[in-house]
Amino acid sequence: MLRLEGAQLNYGSFRALDGITIHADPGELVVMLGANGAGKSSLFLAISGLRKLSRGNIWFKDQNIAGRKPSQIVQAGVVHCPEGRKLFPEMSVRKNLLLGAYVHRQDKKETQKILDQVFEMFPILHEKRNDAAGSLSGGQQQMVAIGRALMGRPEVLLLDEPSLGLAPLVVKQVLGVIKTINDNGTTVLLAEQNAYAALQIARRAYVIESGRIVMEGDRETLLNDERVRKAYIGA
Amino acid sequence: MNIFFQQLLNGLTLGSVYALVALGLTLVYGILHIPNFAHGALYMVGAYAAFYFVGTLGANYWVAMIGAAAVVALLAVLSDRLIFHRLKDAPPLHDMIAAIGLLLFLEACIQATWGAEFHRLAPPYPQIVRVFDLVAPAQRLIIIAAAFGLMLVLHLFLTRTLVGSTIIAMAQNREGASLVGIDATKVSILTFAISGALAAVAATLFSPINLIYPSMGHLVIMKAFVIIILGGMGSIPGAIVGGLVIGFAESFGAFYVSTNYKDIIAFALLVLILSLRPQGLFPSGAR
Repeated sequence: MLRLEGAQLNYGSFRALDGITIHADPGELVVMLGANGAGKSSLFLAISGLRKLSRGNIWFKDQNIAGRKPSQIVQAGVVHCPEGRKLFPEMSVRKNLLLGAYVHRQDKKETQKILDQVFEMFPILHEKRNDAAGSLSGGQQQMVAIGRALMGRPEVLLLDEPSLGLAPLVVKQVLGVIKTINDNGTTVLLAEQNAYAALQIARRAYVIESGRIVMEGDRETLLNDERVRKAYIGA
Repeated sequence: MNIFFQQLLNGLTLGSVYALVALGLTLVYGILHIPNFAHGALYMVGAYAAFYFVGTLGANYWVAMIGAAAVVALLAVLSDRLIFHRLKDAPPLHDMIAAIGLLLFLEACIQATWGAEFHRLAPPYPQIVRVFDLVAPAQRLIIIAAAFGLMLVLHLFLTRTLVGSTIIAMAQNREGASLVGIDATKVSILTFAISGALAAVAATLFSPINLIYPSMGHLVIMKAFVIIILGGMGSIPGAIVGGLVIGFAESFGAFYVSTNYKDIIAFALLVLILSLRPQGLFPSGAR
Protein backbone atom coordinates (compact mmCIF):
# COMPACT_ATOMS: atom_id res chain seq x y z
CA MET A 1 0.00 0.00 0.00
CA LEU A 2 2.63 2.52 1.16
CA ARG A 3 6.37 1.91 0.86
CA LEU A 4 9.32 4.20 1.45
CA GLU A 5 12.68 3.24 0.00
CA GLY A 6 15.88 4.89 1.16
CA ALA A 7 14.11 8.13 2.08
CA GLN A 8 16.56 10.91 2.84
CA LEU A 9 15.54 14.39 3.96
CA ASN A 10 17.87 17.27 4.77
CA TYR A 11 17.21 20.56 6.55
CA GLY A 12 20.27 22.47 5.38
CA SER A 13 23.23 20.48 6.65
CA PHE A 14 21.09 18.53 9.14
CA ARG A 15 19.94 15.12 7.93
CA ALA A 16 16.48 14.50 9.41
CA LEU A 17 15.85 11.22 7.57
CA ASP A 18 18.77 9.00 6.68
CA GLY A 19 17.78 6.23 4.30
CA ILE A 20 14.44 5.21 5.79
CA THR A 21 12.84 2.09 4.33
CA ILE A 22 9.43 1.13 5.72
CA HIS A 23 6.13 -0.20 4.46
CA ALA A 24 2.49 -0.47 5.49
CA ASP A 25 0.27 -3.17 3.98
CA PRO A 26 -3.40 -2.58 3.17
CA GLY A 27 -5.49 -2.41 6.35
CA GLU A 28 -2.47 -2.39 8.67
CA LEU A 29 -1.98 -0.14 11.67
CA VAL A 30 1.74 0.52 11.93
CA VAL A 31 3.30 2.52 14.74
CA MET A 32 6.41 4.68 14.45
CA LEU A 33 8.08 4.89 17.85
CA GLY A 34 10.74 7.44 18.62
CA ALA A 35 11.78 10.24 20.91
CA ASN A 36 11.30 13.93 20.16
CA GLY A 37 13.41 14.91 17.18
CA ALA A 38 13.97 11.32 16.06
CA GLY A 39 12.45 12.04 12.65
CA LYS A 40 8.83 10.84 12.97
CA SER A 41 7.26 14.16 12.00
CA SER A 42 9.80 14.72 9.21
CA LEU A 43 8.89 11.32 7.83
CA PHE A 44 5.19 12.22 7.73
CA LEU A 45 5.90 15.68 6.27
CA ALA A 46 7.88 13.99 3.50
CA ILE A 47 5.13 11.46 2.76
CA SER A 48 2.46 14.18 2.56
CA GLY A 49 4.63 16.33 0.26
CA LEU A 50 5.21 19.24 2.64
CA ARG A 51 8.95 18.52 2.58
CA LYS A 52 10.83 17.25 -0.45
CA LEU A 53 13.07 14.21 -0.15
CA SER A 54 16.62 14.73 -1.30
CA ARG A 55 16.85 11.04 -2.13
CA GLY A 56 14.61 7.96 -2.15
CA ASN A 57 11.14 7.00 -3.27
CA ILE A 58 7.66 6.91 -1.77
CA TRP A 59 5.44 4.31 -3.38
CA PHE A 60 1.70 4.43 -2.91
CA LYS A 61 -0.25 1.76 -4.79
CA ASP A 62 2.56 1.36 -7.35
CA GLN A 63 2.90 5.10 -8.01
CA ASN A 64 5.93 7.05 -6.89
CA ILE A 65 4.43 10.05 -5.05
CA ALA A 66 7.78 11.54 -3.97
CA GLY A 67 8.02 15.11 -5.31
CA ARG A 68 4.28 15.51 -5.85
CA LYS A 69 2.42 18.50 -4.44
CA PRO A 70 0.55 18.01 -1.11
CA SER A 71 -2.78 18.58 -2.89
CA GLN A 72 -1.99 15.76 -5.35
CA ILE A 73 -1.03 13.41 -2.53
CA VAL A 74 -4.30 14.10 -0.67
CA GLN A 75 -6.15 13.56 -3.94
CA ALA A 76 -4.36 10.21 -4.35
CA GLY A 77 -5.65 9.06 -0.93
CA VAL A 78 -2.85 9.75 1.59
CA VAL A 79 -4.07 12.16 4.28
CA HIS A 80 -1.89 13.56 7.06
CA CYS A 81 -3.26 14.58 10.46
CA PRO A 82 -0.28 16.59 11.73
CA GLU A 83 1.26 17.17 15.13
CA GLY A 84 -0.15 20.42 16.52
CA ARG A 85 -3.40 19.80 14.58
CA LYS A 86 -2.98 22.77 12.18
CA LEU A 87 -6.67 23.67 12.32
CA PHE A 88 -8.23 26.88 11.01
CA PRO A 89 -8.79 28.38 14.47
CA GLU A 90 -11.26 31.13 13.59
CA MET A 91 -13.45 28.96 11.39
CA SER A 92 -16.28 26.90 12.82
CA VAL A 93 -15.83 23.20 13.55
CA ARG A 94 -18.20 22.40 10.67
CA LYS A 95 -16.25 24.53 8.20
CA ASN A 96 -12.97 22.95 9.31
CA LEU A 97 -14.45 19.52 8.66
CA LEU A 98 -15.93 20.51 5.30
CA LEU A 99 -12.60 21.91 4.14
CA GLY A 100 -11.15 18.47 4.93
CA ALA A 101 -13.21 17.25 1.97
CA TYR A 102 -11.87 20.00 -0.31
CA VAL A 103 -10.42 17.59 -2.89
CA HIS A 104 -13.81 15.85 -3.12
CA ARG A 105 -15.78 19.12 -3.35
CA GLN A 106 -17.79 17.94 -6.38
CA ASP A 107 -19.27 15.00 -4.48
CA LYS A 108 -21.42 16.82 -1.93
CA LYS A 109 -23.64 13.84 -1.14
CA GLU A 110 -20.77 11.60 -0.03
CA THR A 111 -19.18 14.51 1.86
CA GLN A 112 -22.39 15.00 3.85
CA LYS A 113 -22.47 11.26 4.59
CA ILE A 114 -18.91 11.27 5.94
CA LEU A 115 -19.62 14.45 7.91
CA ASP A 116 -22.53 12.65 9.59
CA GLN A 117 -20.24 9.69 10.35
CA VAL A 118 -17.64 12.02 11.90
CA PHE A 119 -20.32 13.63 14.07
CA GLU A 120 -21.47 10.14 15.07
CA MET A 121 -17.91 9.21 15.98
CA PHE A 122 -17.41 12.46 17.94
CA PRO A 123 -20.84 13.62 19.24
CA ILE A 124 -19.24 16.59 21.03
CA LEU A 125 -18.22 18.01 17.64
CA HIS A 126 -21.84 17.98 16.50
CA GLU A 127 -22.76 19.88 19.63
CA LYS A 128 -19.99 22.43 18.99
CA ARG A 129 -20.24 22.47 15.19
CA ASN A 130 -20.82 26.23 15.05
CA ASP A 131 -18.09 27.13 17.56
CA ALA A 132 -14.71 28.42 16.40
CA ALA A 133 -12.27 25.48 16.30
CA GLY A 134 -9.71 27.53 18.22
CA SER A 135 -12.09 27.89 21.18
CA LEU A 136 -12.27 24.12 21.81
CA SER A 137 -10.27 22.15 24.39
CA GLY A 138 -7.12 20.32 23.27
CA GLY A 139 -8.88 16.96 23.13
CA GLN A 140 -11.78 18.36 21.12
CA GLN A 141 -9.38 20.06 18.72
CA GLN A 142 -7.65 16.72 18.22
CA MET A 143 -11.03 15.22 17.36
CA VAL A 144 -11.58 18.00 14.79
CA ALA A 145 -8.14 17.27 13.32
CA ILE A 146 -8.86 13.53 13.03
CA GLY A 147 -12.37 14.25 11.71
CA ARG A 148 -10.98 16.67 9.14
CA ALA A 149 -8.50 14.05 7.98
CA LEU A 150 -11.30 11.48 7.65
CA MET A 151 -13.28 13.92 5.50
CA GLY A 152 -10.45 13.59 2.94
CA ARG A 153 -11.46 9.89 2.52
CA PRO A 154 -8.00 8.52 3.26
CA GLU A 155 -6.82 5.12 2.12
CA VAL A 156 -3.71 5.76 4.19
CA LEU A 157 -4.02 7.96 7.26
CA LEU A 158 -0.88 9.46 8.79
CA LEU A 159 -1.47 10.37 12.44
CA ASP A 160 1.31 12.35 14.09
CA GLU A 161 1.27 12.32 17.89
CA PRO A 162 -2.52 12.45 18.29
CA SER A 163 -2.25 11.94 22.06
CA LEU A 164 0.25 14.73 22.68
CA GLY A 165 -0.83 16.99 25.54
CA LEU A 166 -4.14 15.20 26.16
CA ALA A 167 -5.54 13.93 29.46
CA PRO A 168 -5.21 10.12 29.91
CA LEU A 169 -8.94 9.58 29.55
CA VAL A 170 -9.02 11.53 26.28
CA VAL A 171 -5.95 9.62 25.03
CA LYS A 172 -7.84 6.38 25.57
CA GLN A 173 -10.84 7.75 23.65
CA VAL A 174 -8.69 9.01 20.76
CA LEU A 175 -6.78 5.73 20.46
CA GLY A 176 -10.11 3.87 20.54
CA VAL A 177 -11.31 5.95 17.59
CA ILE A 178 -8.06 5.28 15.71
CA LYS A 179 -8.58 1.55 16.23
CA THR A 180 -12.14 1.87 14.87
CA ILE A 181 -10.91 3.79 11.81
CA ASN A 182 -8.39 1.02 11.16
CA ASP A 183 -10.98 -1.71 11.74
CA ASN A 184 -13.10 -0.02 9.06
CA GLY A 185 -10.33 -0.68 6.53
CA THR A 186 -8.16 2.45 6.54
CA THR A 187 -4.42 1.83 6.65
CA VAL A 188 -2.96 3.84 9.52
CA LEU A 189 0.58 5.00 10.15
CA LEU A 190 0.70 6.29 13.73
CA ALA A 191 3.61 8.24 15.22
CA GLU A 192 3.54 8.09 19.01
CA GLN A 193 5.74 8.68 22.02
CA ASN A 194 3.15 6.94 24.17
CA ALA A 195 4.54 3.57 23.09
CA TYR A 196 2.64 1.30 25.44
CA ALA A 197 -0.76 2.72 24.48
CA ALA A 198 0.08 2.74 20.76
CA LEU A 199 1.32 -0.84 20.78
CA GLN A 200 -1.98 -1.96 22.30
CA ILE A 201 -3.77 -1.13 19.05
CA ALA A 202 -0.97 -1.83 16.51
CA ARG A 203 0.16 -5.04 14.91
CA ARG A 204 3.61 -3.89 13.90
CA ALA A 205 5.98 -1.05 14.71
CA TYR A 206 9.22 0.61 13.70
CA VAL A 207 11.60 2.35 16.09
CA ILE A 208 13.21 5.46 14.65
CA GLU A 209 16.28 7.15 16.11
CA SER A 210 18.26 10.05 14.60
CA GLY A 211 16.47 9.63 11.27
CA ARG A 212 17.20 5.92 10.96
CA ILE A 213 15.10 2.80 11.54
CA VAL A 214 16.86 0.95 14.35
CA MET A 215 14.30 -1.75 15.02
CA GLU A 216 11.24 -3.32 13.44
CA GLY A 217 8.91 -5.98 14.72
CA ASP A 218 5.45 -7.08 15.71
CA ARG A 219 3.76 -5.88 18.88
CA GLU A 220 4.89 -8.76 21.10
CA THR A 221 8.52 -8.57 19.98
CA LEU A 222 8.73 -4.85 20.72
CA LEU A 223 6.81 -5.03 24.01
CA ASN A 224 9.23 -7.71 25.20
CA ASP A 225 12.36 -5.98 23.98
CA GLU A 226 14.47 -4.66 26.83
CA ARG A 227 15.68 -1.58 24.95
CA VAL A 228 12.18 -0.57 23.87
CA ARG A 229 10.80 -1.12 27.34
CA LYS A 230 13.52 1.05 28.87
CA ALA A 231 13.49 3.82 26.29
CA TYR A 232 9.81 4.15 25.43
CA ILE A 233 7.69 2.35 28.01
CA GLY A 234 9.66 3.19 31.13
CA ALA A 235 9.57 -0.29 32.58
CA MET B 1 -23.67 71.26 10.42
CA ASN B 2 -23.00 71.59 6.71
CA ILE B 3 -19.25 71.87 7.28
CA PHE B 4 -19.30 68.88 9.62
CA PHE B 5 -21.17 66.87 7.00
CA GLN B 6 -18.65 67.96 4.38
CA GLN B 7 -15.77 66.67 6.52
CA LEU B 8 -17.67 63.48 7.19
CA LEU B 9 -18.08 62.97 3.45
CA ASN B 10 -14.41 63.75 2.81
CA GLY B 11 -13.39 61.35 5.55
CA LEU B 12 -15.59 58.59 4.15
CA THR B 13 -14.22 59.17 0.64
CA LEU B 14 -10.60 59.05 1.76
CA GLY B 15 -11.25 56.21 4.20
CA SER B 16 -12.98 53.99 1.66
CA VAL B 17 -10.16 54.44 -0.88
CA TYR B 18 -7.53 53.77 1.79
CA ALA B 19 -9.49 50.73 2.96
CA LEU B 20 -9.57 49.24 -0.56
CA VAL B 21 -5.81 49.66 -0.94
CA ALA B 22 -5.16 48.34 2.57
CA LEU B 23 -7.44 45.33 1.98
CA GLY B 24 -5.28 44.18 -0.94
CA LEU B 25 -2.15 44.72 1.09
CA THR B 26 -3.46 42.86 4.13
CA LEU B 27 -4.76 39.93 2.05
CA VAL B 28 -1.32 39.34 0.56
CA TYR B 29 0.35 39.84 3.94
CA GLY B 30 -2.11 37.53 5.73
CA ILE B 31 -1.52 34.70 3.30
CA LEU B 32 2.04 35.02 2.12
CA HIS B 33 3.55 37.18 4.88
CA ILE B 34 4.99 39.46 2.22
CA PRO B 35 5.03 43.18 3.05
CA ASN B 36 4.36 44.17 -0.55
CA PHE B 37 5.79 47.68 -0.87
CA ALA B 38 5.09 47.43 -4.60
CA HIS B 39 1.35 47.60 -3.85
CA GLY B 40 1.54 51.42 -4.08
CA ALA B 41 3.00 51.07 -7.57
CA LEU B 42 0.13 48.75 -8.52
CA TYR B 43 -2.25 51.49 -7.35
CA MET B 44 -0.36 53.98 -9.54
CA VAL B 45 -0.40 51.64 -12.58
CA GLY B 46 -4.16 51.23 -12.03
CA ALA B 47 -4.64 54.98 -12.28
CA TYR B 48 -2.55 55.18 -15.48
CA ALA B 49 -4.36 52.18 -17.00
CA ALA B 50 -7.74 53.83 -16.38
CA PHE B 51 -6.35 57.12 -17.73
CA TYR B 52 -5.19 55.30 -20.89
CA PHE B 53 -8.47 53.45 -21.39
CA VAL B 54 -10.56 56.63 -20.98
CA GLY B 55 -8.19 59.19 -22.52
CA THR B 56 -6.65 57.27 -25.43
CA LEU B 57 -9.14 54.50 -26.18
CA GLY B 58 -12.21 56.57 -25.29
CA ALA B 59 -13.64 53.85 -23.07
CA ASN B 60 -16.54 54.39 -20.70
CA TYR B 61 -15.42 55.09 -17.07
CA TRP B 62 -16.75 51.79 -15.71
CA VAL B 63 -15.30 49.77 -18.59
CA ALA B 64 -11.98 51.52 -17.95
CA MET B 65 -12.23 50.51 -14.29
CA ILE B 66 -12.75 46.85 -15.21
CA GLY B 67 -9.92 47.07 -17.75
CA ALA B 68 -7.57 48.65 -15.20
CA ALA B 69 -8.52 45.99 -12.63
CA ALA B 70 -7.74 43.23 -15.16
CA VAL B 71 -4.39 44.78 -16.17
CA VAL B 72 -3.24 45.31 -12.58
CA ALA B 73 -4.51 41.90 -11.46
CA LEU B 74 -2.38 40.35 -14.21
CA LEU B 75 0.60 42.49 -13.23
CA ALA B 76 0.19 41.46 -9.58
CA VAL B 77 0.02 37.78 -10.53
CA LEU B 78 3.14 38.15 -12.67
CA SER B 79 4.95 39.83 -9.77
CA ASP B 80 4.05 36.83 -7.62
CA ARG B 81 5.08 34.17 -10.13
CA LEU B 82 8.22 35.88 -11.38
CA ILE B 83 9.49 37.40 -8.12
CA PHE B 84 7.84 36.53 -4.80
CA HIS B 85 7.19 32.85 -5.51
CA ARG B 86 10.85 32.36 -6.39
CA LEU B 87 11.85 33.91 -3.06
CA LYS B 88 9.57 31.75 -0.92
CA ASP B 89 12.47 29.99 0.81
CA ALA B 90 14.63 33.12 1.05
CA PRO B 91 14.93 35.29 4.20
CA PRO B 92 12.04 37.83 4.57
CA LEU B 93 14.41 40.72 3.87
CA HIS B 94 14.74 39.49 0.26
CA ASP B 95 10.96 39.86 -0.28
CA MET B 96 11.09 43.44 0.99
CA ILE B 97 14.06 44.37 -1.20
CA ALA B 98 12.39 42.73 -4.21
CA ALA B 99 9.14 44.62 -3.53
CA ILE B 100 10.98 47.95 -3.36
CA GLY B 101 12.81 47.03 -6.56
CA LEU B 102 9.51 46.28 -8.29
CA LEU B 103 8.07 49.58 -7.06
CA LEU B 104 11.00 51.50 -8.58
CA PHE B 105 10.86 49.46 -11.79
CA LEU B 106 7.15 50.11 -12.35
CA GLU B 107 7.57 53.81 -11.61
CA ALA B 108 10.44 54.05 -14.08
CA CYS B 109 8.40 52.25 -16.76
CA ILE B 110 5.44 54.61 -16.28
CA GLN B 111 7.67 57.67 -16.25
CA ALA B 112 9.39 56.52 -19.46
CA THR B 113 6.00 56.12 -21.15
CA TRP B 114 3.94 59.05 -19.84
CA GLY B 115 6.60 61.37 -18.43
CA ALA B 116 6.80 62.83 -14.93
CA GLU B 117 4.08 65.45 -15.39
CA PHE B 118 0.68 65.40 -13.72
CA HIS B 119 -2.40 64.03 -15.48
CA ARG B 120 -6.03 64.14 -14.59
CA LEU B 121 -8.82 61.68 -15.33
CA ALA B 122 -11.83 63.68 -16.49
CA PRO B 123 -14.57 63.33 -13.84
CA PRO B 124 -17.24 61.07 -15.35
CA TYR B 125 -19.89 62.49 -13.03
CA PRO B 126 -19.14 66.21 -12.45
CA GLN B 127 -22.62 66.89 -11.05
CA ILE B 128 -23.33 68.15 -7.56
CA VAL B 129 -25.95 66.31 -5.55
CA ARG B 130 -28.12 68.37 -3.18
CA VAL B 131 -30.09 66.78 -0.38
CA PHE B 132 -31.96 69.33 1.80
CA ASP B 133 -29.26 71.77 2.86
CA LEU B 134 -26.40 69.44 2.14
CA VAL B 135 -24.23 69.47 -0.98
CA ALA B 136 -22.05 66.61 -2.20
CA PRO B 137 -20.08 66.04 -5.43
CA ALA B 138 -21.48 62.97 -7.21
CA GLN B 139 -18.00 61.45 -7.70
CA ARG B 140 -17.43 61.34 -3.94
CA LEU B 141 -20.73 59.54 -3.40
CA ILE B 142 -19.79 57.09 -6.17
CA ILE B 143 -16.42 56.43 -4.52
CA ILE B 144 -18.10 55.65 -1.20
CA ALA B 145 -20.86 53.49 -2.71
CA ALA B 146 -18.53 51.56 -5.03
CA ALA B 147 -15.87 51.01 -2.36
CA PHE B 148 -18.33 49.76 0.24
CA GLY B 149 -20.14 47.68 -2.41
CA LEU B 150 -16.85 46.05 -3.35
CA MET B 151 -15.96 45.41 0.30
CA LEU B 152 -19.33 43.70 0.77
CA VAL B 153 -18.78 41.55 -2.33
CA LEU B 154 -15.29 40.65 -1.10
CA HIS B 155 -16.66 39.78 2.34
CA LEU B 156 -19.36 37.53 0.83
CA PHE B 157 -16.80 35.91 -1.48
CA LEU B 158 -14.40 35.16 1.38
CA THR B 159 -16.99 33.91 3.85
CA ARG B 160 -19.69 32.30 1.69
CA THR B 161 -17.81 30.59 -1.13
CA LEU B 162 -15.54 27.57 -1.07
CA VAL B 163 -12.86 29.35 -3.12
CA GLY B 164 -12.98 32.29 -0.69
CA SER B 165 -12.69 29.87 2.23
CA THR B 166 -9.45 28.51 0.77
CA ILE B 167 -7.94 32.00 1.03
CA ILE B 168 -9.04 32.36 4.65
CA ALA B 169 -7.86 28.81 5.43
CA MET B 170 -4.45 29.57 3.94
CA ALA B 171 -4.25 32.77 6.02
CA GLN B 172 -5.19 30.96 9.23
CA ASN B 173 -2.91 27.97 8.75
CA ARG B 174 -0.82 27.53 5.65
CA GLU B 175 0.32 23.95 6.38
CA GLY B 176 -3.17 22.94 7.49
CA ALA B 177 -4.55 24.24 4.20
CA SER B 178 -2.00 22.29 2.17
CA LEU B 179 -2.79 19.14 4.15
CA VAL B 180 -6.48 19.24 3.16
CA GLY B 181 -5.44 19.52 -0.48
CA ILE B 182 -5.75 23.28 -1.03
CA ASP B 183 -3.26 24.24 -3.73
CA ALA B 184 -1.06 26.98 -2.27
CA THR B 185 -0.03 28.15 -5.75
CA LYS B 186 -3.62 28.69 -6.90
CA VAL B 187 -4.50 30.53 -3.69
CA SER B 188 -1.44 32.70 -4.04
CA ILE B 189 -2.30 33.61 -7.67
CA LEU B 190 -5.90 34.37 -6.71
CA THR B 191 -4.86 36.51 -3.76
CA PHE B 192 -2.42 38.58 -5.80
CA ALA B 193 -5.06 39.01 -8.53
CA ILE B 194 -7.66 40.24 -6.02
CA SER B 195 -5.12 42.49 -4.35
CA GLY B 196 -4.11 44.05 -7.68
CA ALA B 197 -7.71 44.49 -8.81
CA LEU B 198 -8.62 46.23 -5.52
CA ALA B 199 -5.70 48.65 -5.92
CA ALA B 200 -6.74 49.44 -9.50
CA VAL B 201 -10.38 50.01 -8.58
CA ALA B 202 -9.32 52.28 -5.69
CA ALA B 203 -7.09 54.27 -8.07
CA THR B 204 -9.78 54.56 -10.76
CA LEU B 205 -12.34 55.71 -8.20
CA PHE B 206 -10.00 58.31 -6.68
CA SER B 207 -8.34 59.61 -9.87
CA PRO B 208 -11.17 61.93 -11.02
CA ILE B 209 -10.74 64.00 -7.84
CA ASN B 210 -6.99 63.65 -7.60
CA LEU B 211 -3.90 63.92 -9.82
CA ILE B 212 -2.14 61.08 -11.61
CA TYR B 213 1.67 61.03 -11.49
CA PRO B 214 4.38 58.35 -11.22
CA SER B 215 5.05 58.68 -7.48
CA MET B 216 1.35 58.95 -6.50
CA GLY B 217 1.53 55.53 -4.81
CA HIS B 218 4.17 56.48 -2.22
CA LEU B 219 1.97 58.24 0.32
CA VAL B 220 -0.92 55.84 -0.30
CA ILE B 221 1.21 52.76 0.40
CA MET B 222 2.71 54.35 3.52
CA LYS B 223 -0.79 55.05 4.80
CA ALA B 224 -1.98 51.58 3.81
CA PHE B 225 0.83 50.14 5.93
CA VAL B 226 -0.19 52.39 8.82
CA ILE B 227 -3.76 51.12 8.38
CA ILE B 228 -2.89 47.43 8.39
CA ILE B 229 -0.57 47.87 11.36
CA LEU B 230 -3.35 49.73 13.19
CA GLY B 231 -5.96 47.17 12.19
CA GLY B 232 -3.76 44.16 12.90
CA MET B 233 -1.56 42.66 10.18
CA GLY B 234 -3.60 40.30 8.02
CA SER B 235 -6.97 41.34 9.47
CA ILE B 236 -9.69 42.16 6.93
CA PRO B 237 -12.07 44.04 9.28
CA GLY B 238 -8.97 45.75 10.66
CA ALA B 239 -8.11 47.10 7.19
CA ILE B 240 -11.61 48.52 6.73
CA VAL B 241 -11.88 50.07 10.19
CA GLY B 242 -8.27 51.27 10.03
CA GLY B 243 -8.91 52.87 6.63
CA LEU B 244 -11.91 54.74 7.94
CA VAL B 245 -10.08 55.83 11.11
CA ILE B 246 -7.26 57.33 9.03
CA GLY B 247 -9.70 58.85 6.52
CA PHE B 248 -11.76 60.60 9.21
CA ALA B 249 -8.68 61.65 11.17
CA GLU B 250 -7.15 63.25 8.08
CA SER B 251 -10.36 64.93 7.01
CA PHE B 252 -11.31 66.36 10.41
CA GLY B 253 -7.66 67.04 11.30
CA ALA B 254 -7.13 69.01 8.08
CA PHE B 255 -10.17 71.17 8.82
CA TYR B 256 -10.00 71.62 12.58
CA VAL B 257 -6.18 71.66 12.95
CA SER B 258 -4.46 72.54 9.67
CA THR B 259 -4.21 71.10 6.16
CA ASN B 260 -0.41 71.31 6.56
CA TYR B 261 -0.57 68.51 9.11
CA LYS B 262 -3.00 66.33 7.13
CA ASP B 263 -0.43 63.68 6.17
CA ILE B 264 1.28 63.67 9.57
CA ILE B 265 -1.98 62.74 11.32
CA ALA B 266 -1.94 59.13 10.09
CA PHE B 267 1.56 58.56 11.42
CA ALA B 268 0.85 60.37 14.72
CA LEU B 269 -2.21 58.13 15.15
CA LEU B 270 -0.06 55.07 14.45
CA VAL B 271 2.33 55.99 17.25
CA LEU B 272 -0.53 56.81 19.63
CA ILE B 273 -2.62 53.68 19.03
CA LEU B 274 0.35 51.33 19.02
CA SER B 275 1.55 52.81 22.32
CA LEU B 276 -1.82 51.93 23.86
CA ARG B 277 -2.52 48.74 21.90
CA PRO B 278 0.66 47.30 20.34
CA GLN B 279 -1.17 44.32 18.79
CA GLY B 280 -3.40 46.60 16.66
CA LEU B 281 -7.18 46.89 16.74
CA PHE B 282 -7.99 43.39 15.39
CA PRO B 283 -4.94 41.31 16.19
CA SER B 284 -6.20 37.80 15.57
CA GLY B 285 -5.47 37.56 11.86
CA ALA B 286 -7.49 37.35 8.66
CA ARG B 287 -11.14 36.40 8.78
